[in-house]
Amino acid sequence: MVEFKLPDVGEGMHEGEILRVLVKTGEFVQMDQPILEVQTDKVNAELSAPASGVVTEIFFAEGDTVHVGTTLLTIDNGTKTEKAPPPKTEETKAVEAKEVKEPVTAKSVGQGAKRVLATPFVRQMAREMKIDIEQVQGTGPIGRVTEEDLRRFAQVPHAKPSKEKIVEPALQPVSSAAKGSSASREKIEERILLKGIRKKIAEQMVKSVSTIPHVTSVDEFEMDELKAVRERLKPFAEKKGVKLTFLPFFIKALVLALKEFPMLNSSLDEESNEIVLKHYYHIGIATDTPQGLIVPVIKDVDQKSIFELAAEISSLAQLARDGKLKMEQISGGTFTISNVGSIGGLQATPIINHPEAAILSLHKMEKRWVVREDEGVIRWMMNTSLSFDHRLIDGVTAVKFTNRIKELIEEPNLLFAEMI
Amino acid sequence: MVVGEVAVETDVVVIGGGPGGYAAAIRLGQLGKSVVLIEKEAMGGVCLNKGCIPSKALIHAAGEFHKLSSMGKIGIRLPQGESSFHMTEWQQWKSSIISQLNKGVSHLCEANGVTVVKGAATFLSDDRVGVETGHDFETFKFEHAIIATGSRPFLSGFLERDGTHILDSTDLLQLTDVPEKLAIIGGGYIGMEMGMAFSKLGAKVTVIEAAERILPQIGAAFSQEIQKQAKKLGMTIKTSTKVETATVVDGRVELRLFSEQDGEELLIQDKVLVTIGRKPNTEKIGLSQADVHVDERGYIPVDQSCRTNRPHIYAIGDVTPGMALAHRAAKQGVVAAEVISGLPSANDSELVPYVIFTEPQIAGVGLTREEAEQLGYDVKSAAFPYGANGRALATDQGSGFAEVIVDTKTHLLLGMHVVGAEASNLIGEGVLALEMSARAEDLSMTMHAHPTLSEVWMEAAASVLGHAIHVVNKK
Repeated sequence: MVEFKLPDVGEGMHEGEILRVLVKTGEFVQMDQPILEVQTDKVNAELSAPASGVVTEIFFAEGDTVHVGTTLLTIDNGTKTEKAPPPKTEETKAVEAKEVKEPVTAKSVGQGAKRVLATPFVRQMAREMKIDIEQVQGTGPIGRVTEEDLRRFAQVPHAKPSKEKIVEPALQPVSSAAKGSSASREKIEERILLKGIRKKIAEQMVKSVSTIPHVTSVDEFEMDELKAVRERLKPFAEKKGVKLTFLPFFIKALVLALKEFPMLNSSLDEESNEIVLKHYYHIGIATDTPQGLIVPVIKDVDQKSIFELAAEISSLAQLARDGKLKMEQISGGTFTISNVGSIGGLQATPIINHPEAAILSLHKMEKRWVVREDEGVIRWMMNTSLSFDHRLIDGVTAVKFTNRIKELIEEPNLLFAEMI
Repeated sequence: MVVGEVAVETDVVVIGGGPGGYAAAIRLGQLGKSVVLIEKEAMGGVCLNKGCIPSKALIHAAGEFHKLSSMGKIGIRLPQGESSFHMTEWQQWKSSIISQLNKGVSHLCEANGVTVVKGAATFLSDDRVGVETGHDFETFKFEHAIIATGSRPFLSGFLERDGTHILDSTDLLQLTDVPEKLAIIGGGYIGMEMGMAFSKLGAKVTVIEAAERILPQIGAAFSQEIQKQAKKLGMTIKTSTKVETATVVDGRVELRLFSEQDGEELLIQDKVLVTIGRKPNTEKIGLSQADVHVDERGYIPVDQSCRTNRPHIYAIGDVTPGMALAHRAAKQGVVAAEVISGLPSANDSELVPYVIFTEPQIAGVGLTREEAEQLGYDVKSAAFPYGANGRALATDQGSGFAEVIVDTKTHLLLGMHVVGAEASNLIGEGVLALEMSARAEDLSMTMHAHPTLSEVWMEAAASVLGHAIHVVNKK
């Protein structure tokens, strides 16, 4: 008997919704055969059978929300499990969880209540880290809370413990605590659990900024020519049912530049100490969704036409907003474009989508006074900000790379000329 | 007080220079705060001046004096003639110890930048304290205050202390002669400590206790051990007995007693010591003007950081509910000082050791067997007798035992208690073991020096695991 539990399909998920159950009780399944489709707050994932055998029981129906680690179904593959029959109801599950928990939350000694096992030093350390030690599961002898347990606990966001358990009076800044009442403080602050996509963004940003030395180079592009080209092509796109934006042109220009400056399409493998040059071009498009930032990836952009890219951008953006992207649609990028121009902003210092080597931000397009042949003229201008990994790319390379894109955008006919 | 008088501004005012107050003041000084420590009597409080220290000096003298009578057994012949104890000379020795310690505390305060003000303090508001310094009145404006005014002996209605015949523990330690007949009302730890000491010094001591046994707060087996020794010393112990009246007649005290078993009884004594409890000093310090709450018994409730209901005012030591022990006060004092200085300290442990300087001594930490069972533990316990410890026998201190109480499944140490010689020093190991959440195995596998009394812990722990070396283990 094999118990199939909801795995963390990546992205640090906590729970998922069962979208579709692809098998029935009593059905024979092959190992790796798709059996369930799960939606997390970011992606849809297809889960496949961990073993071949007969599905003996399915514990959830489509539409149920389940936590990572919960048994979803069992498959009889001829082997025995030492475990008791899998939990059938929430109630029995709770009991089981308790049984597992008890030995590691042992508390002891004291008048009136059992206390948490931890040395005085560890208890002080918990207060320093603003951790309610009663919430921590100890891994030491008899469930003693260790320094390591506190560090581990601190890395995972936790729900704020209930009021009476907070030992916090000691932690408030003393002078202000004397004056302001706790009631008024509650009104001006609110606490939201960092989870799901927000948590993933947070982790990703920290990872990127703490490992990659970022440098940002800002430039401005003249957009009049491209604007004209786009206007001329728009009716053709509409005939194909495609909404043509500036973005596909930028992606095309970008690919040409990436081919000439391969370091911008690389990543640094810190473990093996190698630079990985990628000969495929998967471009991430930073997309705003109600849940937060998601980066769907358009694969092999060098092999797609501008119209194809335009169509794919719209469909991916829609999936992202609906929260229906699959894992493979948000992974494997080699370079990211952040298009915030439609919202506004002059320039930015974008954070690289780790482990990529660079990210390009496109800003608001607007009419500006510029000097052309010693005369002030009005042109449609757009600022761009390129953040790059200075471990891999020198400033000169980055500027040359931007110059190349600038050239292709300002003279879009070159895109046709350079077309393979 | 002159209205509009200029107040001296300070970060913290500490009221009371006992072991809690001075520890708090010194720690605050270390942490860079400006501190005013107000003490109306002598630095060191009850503990140093009329409690722990002088009583231990008396108990020491009594013990040494008493040993003289058993010297013959170990081959020491003393010169002929009665040995005698001169309490006036003892008083001089006691005073020298106290003054040495007083100076030490004052020096430490000074070295840590603490301003000591002598006088009686009263809260004028929630940010001002006034001090009557005899001829003057000073006002201090504070950011934070620590109340550490301690406690005093509690006397009930008719047992009015006169300081000559009916005494509290402070008066008793001021005596210059050992009374011939001494009655002690209250068989708690102060009563038994003083009773045994005076008994050793030659007084005929009677202890009158209202409860069924002496030392009602500690385990029955431990109080039995003390009862046994008390009888050996020739003391009379009257339990389940009440004092109905106490009258001074012709320089002696007539005590009328009543008990179910013996009915009425008249006792004529030279001195009577009343030790039936202590009372917090919270009435005369203007708490209401600072809006600090007290409970129905006069104690100031505090949280783990020693804060009162007013978050900038702290209370520590005997004025807070809990055991009236100097080490508890000192710990609270340090915690309050650190919290005021923004550190995340807390008084987060219920592992407060107790020590009783009877003959033999008693000490313990953590739960008793009964308490552990009430909390729902499946409990095992084992005791190891002093009689099986080589050092105890070689120093003629073979009575007593050490007990460990553990959780049956995990062998987690829940309580450690000991009655016997040097119990007060032995309990240090117990407090540390419990704070570190040690198991019985940790204690039994730790090498203990031989021949020492500390081996009793190792053996008691081995015994609870069923493999003590020096006793036959229960199957």
